[in-house]
Amino acid sequence: MMFPTFRRLVVAGALWSSAAAAQSSRIAVDRTVLPNGLTLQLVEDHSTQVVSVSLWYDVGSRDEVPGKTGFAHLFEHMMFQGSAHIAKAEHGQLVERAGGSLNANTQYDITRYYNVVPSNRVNLALWLEAERMRSLAVTDENLKNQVAAVKEERRLRVDNAPYGKAIWEAPLAMFDAKSCFAYAHSMIGSMDDLAASSVADVKAFFDRYYAPNNAVLTVVGDIKPAEVKRLVGEYFGGIARQPAPPKVTCEQRFSTGAQRTTVKDDKATLPAVILMYRVPATSHADTPALDLLGTILGSGEASRLNKVLAREAKLALGTQILLNPFGPRRGPGQFFAFAIANQGVTPDSLEKRLAAEIDAVVRSGVTPEELTRAKNQFRASKVNERQQTFAMGEAIQNATFFLGSPDAVNTDLDRYGKITVDDIKRVAATYLIPANSLVVTVLPEAK
Amino acid sequence: MLRALATARRAAALAAVVLTAAALPAQQFPTKPPAPLPVTAAQMPPFQSVTLANGLRVLVVPNAKLPVLSMTLAFQAGSVHDPAGKEGLAEMVAGLLSKGAGSREADAVAAAIEGVGGTFAATSGTDFMTATVSVLSENAALGFELLADAVVRPKFADKEIELNRTQALSALRLARSQPAQIASEAFARELYGQHPYGRHASQESVKGLTRADVVGYHARMLRPGGALLVLAGDITLAKARTVATAAFAGWTGTAPAAPAPVAMPERTATEIVLVHRPGSVQSNVIVGNRTWLPADPRNFGAVLANHVLGGGSDSRLFMTLREKKGWTYGAYSSLTRQRQGGYFSATAEVRTEVTDSSVAELLSQVRRLRTEPITAAEFDAAKGALVGRFPLQVETAAQVASQVASSRLHGLAADYVQTYRQKMSAVTPAAAQDAAKAAMRPDAALIVVVGDGTKLYDKLAAIAPVRLVNTDGAAMKPADLAAKSAALDLALDRLAPRTDSFTVFVQGNPFGFQRSRLERAGNGWKSIEDTQLGPIVQQHTEVSFDASATMQSILQTGKVQGIDTRIEVSYAGGRAKGSAATPQPPGGVKTIPVDADMPAGALDDNAIQPLLSAFRWAAGAKFSFTVFQSGKGTAIPATLTVTGDESVTVPAGTFAAWKVDLTGGEQTTSFWVEKAAPYRVVKIAVAGAPIEVRLAK
Repeated sequence: MMFPTFRRLVVAGALWSSAAAAQSSRIAVDRTVLPNGLTLQLVEDHSTQVVSVSLWYDVGSRDEVPGKTGFAHLFEHMMFQGSAHIAKAEHGQLVERAGGSLNANTQYDITRYYNVVPSNRVNLALWLEAERMRSLAVTDENLKNQVAAVKEERRLRVDNAPYGKAIWEAPLAMFDAKSCFAYAHSMIGSMDDLAASSVADVKAFFDRYYAPNNAVLTVVGDIKPAEVKRLVGEYFGGIARQPAPPKVTCEQRFSTGAQRTTVKDDKATLPAVILMYRVPATSHADTPALDLLGTILGSGEASRLNKVLAREAKLALGTQILLNPFGPRRGPGQFFAFAIANQGVTPDSLEKRLAAEIDAVVRSGVTPEELTRAKNQFRASKVNERQQTFAMGEAIQNATFFLGSPDAVNTDLDRYGKITVDDIKRVAATYLIPANSLVVTVLPEAK
Repeated sequence: MLRALATARRAAALAAVVLTAAALPAQQFPTKPPAPLPVTAAQMPPFQSVTLANGLRVLVVPNAKLPVLSMTLAFQAGSVHDPAGKEGLAEMVAGLLSKGAGSREADAVAAAIEGVGGTFAATSGTDFMTATVSVLSENAALGFELLADAVVRPKFADKEIELNRTQALSALRLARSQPAQIASEAFARELYGQHPYGRHASQESVKGLTRADVVGYHARMLRPGGALLVLAGDITLAKARTVATAAFAGWTGTAPAAPAPVAMPERTATEIVLVHRPGSVQSNVIVGNRTWLPADPRNFGAVLANHVLGGGSDSRLFMTLREKKGWTYGAYSSLTRQRQGGYFSATAEVRTEVTDSSVAELLSQVRRLRTEPITAAEFDAAKGALVGRFPLQVETAAQVASQVASSRLHGLAADYVQTYRQKMSAVTPAAAQDAAKAAMRPDAALIVVVGDGTKLYDKLAAIAPVRLVNTDGAAMKPADLAAKSAALDLALDRLAPRTDSFTVFVQGNPFGFQRSRLERAGNGWKSIEDTQLGPIVQQHTEVSFDASATMQSILQTGKVQGIDTRIEVSYAGGRAKGSAATPQPPGGVKTIPVDADMPAGALDDNAIQPLLSAFRWAAGAKFSFTVFQSGKGTAIPATLTVTGDESVTVPAGTFAAWKVDLTGGEQTTSFWVEKAAPYRVVKIAVAGAPIEVRLAK
């Protein structure tokens, strides 16, 4: 050998592992509650000159009642329509001229708004969020516009996208509308409900849910906590507390018997099969094992489904595992194994092979190498997440809303690290079984 | 009891924080967005560096906050070091570094890095080549091993070289069809002349690259002496020194200094270089000039002034050429830094009719920036965006390593990254304008216009002296513009009503079908084609043309990934009129009105395939004509060239066929056409894509 062997490097690697373990940093969250009930969480971190201002409202599709569906998502649109001192679309323009970025997103359990700005513009982001919380322009014109925009979005995502109905609507049948309306109705809502909504309805929804006592403001990055507290007091302090929104419940039921449905899809040109399983709430101790199993089955070139269904058997054009595709949940969640058939492959033969791969995990589990690889990928993704102020802010919000405490961001790696191959086999045998499933077959249909 | 106590304690704790917050003074809500707070100094630690015995400079940006490590190994080795005639070599070398090295083949390299959740990539630019690995620091040993193997022990396997060449040739073919690319190549050539910055890779140069060239470039240029290894993240200088010394032991030598500077053309008056692209309905315009060396202190002011001019979507060029005049979708300007001399450029893609007005407007906006003071609102918005955006670009270890490496390789100040914001904040309106005067020279500018010379020459000559060239850069005389390309001489009696069925293969697997039918329509013809590609594309096309193959209409409906598309254009009286709704990456549909000149003898792009049987094919035959791209509403020049005489086996049988290459569009498409009646198309392949269409019956 002309060049040095790896042996010396391996020794260096061993030294590294202990150093890395010692250096995994703990995130300290400074949590206060304003008199009006707004929760403020601060993480001071001067590694960069960036600040993430993330405001999550404790409202989502979960809070909607029959006859008034789609409001949570409609609001995400309304929040960009201007307020007392800000014109339509001006929020985005001001943030971009400050060198920052922003966006929003609706889920079943929460609605989130976030701004990432250079640290000297943290005041701008806070002011903009306070401005729309205190004086959103809920007008008839804005409402009509945004109902139209939501209809367009539904057309784009559900009606006009191949497999859209199978992903967005078929899974609603996994939940019983009587015991769990929260997850048994569509996030995008009924177009009839939206069309029938009045300014008064929307105003009432805003007052009840877009209240300081129903929101958590998390500010992470290069901040002076005292200064941020002062600004938050100045901007948000005068917004009145509202009566607490009613609690929503959903009964979790597993293994209620195998279900099956067929979706005719005039946008799809190849059949597809989705095996859908009920899984517990995000906070449940089984979630890390399900997540790692999802990686082993469906993530990357070397994943099981890609190797077996796509490359070897050539049955699938593509495969994917989705754990809670609509966001984390405080109620029961979903685990999808999704495969699109190759030309000439029947959905039946695809389903059999896909189910056989799931069953193989139920019966024989996974190998330690597969688990290690999945843990490595998880760990790298978590560490990389913390390199970005925005990702760190969102992880803290996630922990706050779904894991019971912002401090849970500090225990992610432990929770995943201790999962064993036995855990994987056990969760597969508990949840990924026919009695707990809904099999969705998508058949292309000529228009 | 215990439980009640715990609750009481929690309530007390909550009351405490509520009280703290309540103590804040109640204030009036401000009715205007607050002014920026003071900019704080960057918290980036001082960089530490050490030079190893073999000459490798190691620069450490320690940050132990997270167990991540990003390593960027950079060489003064870019396309500027490609030997004449071997353009494209540095890019090929870079592309191969991650494709097998040490004991690993290409797939083993990918599996190793994927297995630890890391990333690995190598790229080459004009001045530099960089290889970057990002890993958790516990995998630093693997990272160093992959990086050291890649730059010290690359395999350069023949299989990977050929794959890389195929991809490079496809990319070049794509580039040749894109007027923006033709414009930027012409701009570099005219701005830098014989200097290597003026050259670019070509089909010929890439085809001529050999493994010996690759091995030779690697052996000569990728040496530790003069190279820079930037390590950002969880590592100390001491550890970096130890591990780098071990990883790169046995690697020695110094790359040769940059080639002796070649004089660059000096320009004392504005000149227009018109690149004649026959049939082009749009023009690509670049106005610019050379600037200065990377470390020039005027750069901060110039960048700010440039932002006011054309740096964003609320800058002057965008607001004028797009919002006010409606001449273009976008107009921007930029300053490019290069080690041996950078340049300023302002660009726009405009309709042929408004090309001269757009050139005049670009020049006028550059002049205005130099003569009129920048308004306070524009100045503040530009500075806010530039100063504000910088921290978002140096958040991760990988971003830091890349910025630090780039600043060092350009020879910028040692604290350039740490002090960027303060320096940008300190720029005054006067300094910005002075810098603009030096950086932008509208009276000694190079203006490149790629477009239809027959329509542009006289109008542009009214603005500045015009030099005419063809798309390969060869000089043309204005008189050459008058010469017309010979009309297509088609054997239309070969057309007959017929239906052909094809199977579409992707990577060798059946993925869809195409059915082509040609039927009589009055004295002329109607071609009907249905195509389906997996779940992705469904398309129905009807093209009508008369007995002499003059286009009459096209109607195309389809779905691309579930999105409805529709093209409907009528051809009459030398005009093409209609509309085209086509999918746009990354999603959605763009609908454009089609209203353009339809050059005589031009074919709709969907009429080419049905007419292939009517061409008089022969060995070496070449047919040049104009293609109207009905989906884009533009006419482009195209060529069909016979490049082979082959026996082709497809599901329908074995056929003696001419291989015919269609060039001029985005990708070269090859057709195999039967040599004898009924002259059917038996196979179609798209260069650089794993798609083949084979005759089934």
